[in-house]
Amino acid sequence: MVFQTAHLISVMPNLSAAALVNLRLALIIIAIALILGTALTILRSLKIAPVNAVIDVLISFIRGTPLLVQIFIFYYALPNAGLDLSAEVAGVLAISFNSAVFVSEIMRGSLPTIDPGQIEAATALGLRRHVIWLRVILPQLFRRTLPVLINESTIVVKGTALLSVITVVDVLRTAQQIASSTFRPFETLVGAAIVFLVINLAVSFVGMTLEARLAARRM
Amino acid sequence: MGFDVSVFTTYWPLFLQGALLTIRVCLAAFVVGFALGTVLALLALVPLRPLRFLIGVYLAVLRGIPFIIILFLVHYGLPFAGVRLPAVFTGTIALSLFASAYFAEIVRAAIVALPKGQFESARAIGMSPGQAMRYVVAPQILRPLVPPSTNMTLTMIKESSVLSSITVAELTYQGLVVQGNTFAPFEVFAVVAGVYWIISIAVARAATLLERKAGGAQSKAVTRNSLADSFLSLERRPAS
Repeated sequence: MVFQTAHLISVMPNLSAAALVNLRLALIIIAIALILGTALTILRSLKIAPVNAVIDVLISFIRGTPLLVQIFIFYYALPNAGLDLSAEVAGVLAISFNSAVFVSEIMRGSLPTIDPGQIEAATALGLRRHVIWLRVILPQLFRRTLPVLINESTIVVKGTALLSVITVVDVLRTAQQIASSTFRPFETLVGAAIVFLVINLAVSFVGMTLEARLAARRM
Repeated sequence: MGFDVSVFTTYWPLFLQGALLTIRVCLAAFVVGFALGTVLALLALVPLRPLRFLIGVYLAVLRGIPFIIILFLVHYGLPFAGVRLPAVFTGTIALSLFASAYFAEIVRAAIVALPKGQFESARAIGMSPGQAMRYVVAPQILRPLVPPSTNMTLTMIKESSVLSSITVAELTYQGLVVQGNTFAPFEVFAVVAGVYWIISIAVARAATLLERKAGGAQSKAVTRNSLADSFLSLERRPAS
């Protein structure tokens, strides 16, 4: 068969419209993951032995099992526990929890790079624990982990494509619907690939701009 | 809601078959992906602009789009090009291509990290080219490869679950089949997730052993006071 560029062009408006779904869900997920991941990090820093033991198992589970299976657990298994979630909500929660664990692990890796003298100085100044976190540690931590957090954001964007499997009408599912009515799956999928590529390039670009701005402010 | 053990006792052969196929597909994709990644990393060292550009585009595209789309592109693209293969093969090819993009970066980083002149120095003290490669260059390239390659292998094992969406009868697919028969999603996905978890932990353990055998760098123990540790360390027992 011959690649029909005309078909590729004709599907782009529909796929671009569907891209807003992925973009919206990805933004919600990234916001939840950042907040939850930060909270998890602070909770782990308290070093309450039983709590950290539970969190360690949870982290191992989320890192050791496929995101797709986690999405299935939220979508298929939670209704059994009396929590009947829509596909979109179940999917967003599954990816958010997954990403929150990775955000916390990213932070864990970067925490030791913060000068311990700052903590001593802040404590000597009489700053409360939560103030030390909010004003001393977190601002530096976000700045230092920004490149990795941007990378994690692109992983989240790619993860939203899996929601098509649980019936969320995103770019991929829209592509599949178009493909099944036009019988031109290849061109349509190339269109979907382009949409994701453009979103992720944009995310990386925003990340680099943010980094440059933060670097300039430090001068 | 209790845990219905019969789901596992009745359907364990399906789960086992699925797990074995997952392992086989991942092994094949690891070998092909690593080989292809190494070739790409070496080609990227050739000072030829168009070649570098093409490899750069290949890596950016494969890393920038979701694996499920790579999978569908291969699965529907090959028949489009006149090649008809069973889903297991298209799935393995897609997973190999996906992995190659990341392995290329890992291998490239290991090669670039090798200080220049190591090979020449080894030759200068009288080693044969073979000895220089065997005792000086190879250990320095192979050792730093282990941790990131392990990470990538774990990612690959997890991504292989997506092959279920093109009807490859791997672990996740078998889980969906059993779920269709039993309507016991909790039990089914607990088993499926548990098996992936075991495979991941086993691979991670094996990699740790390999690393120790390769004499990997020991991480430096950081000494710090307990006040700072109460913020900056998440380990349960703070470093003394």
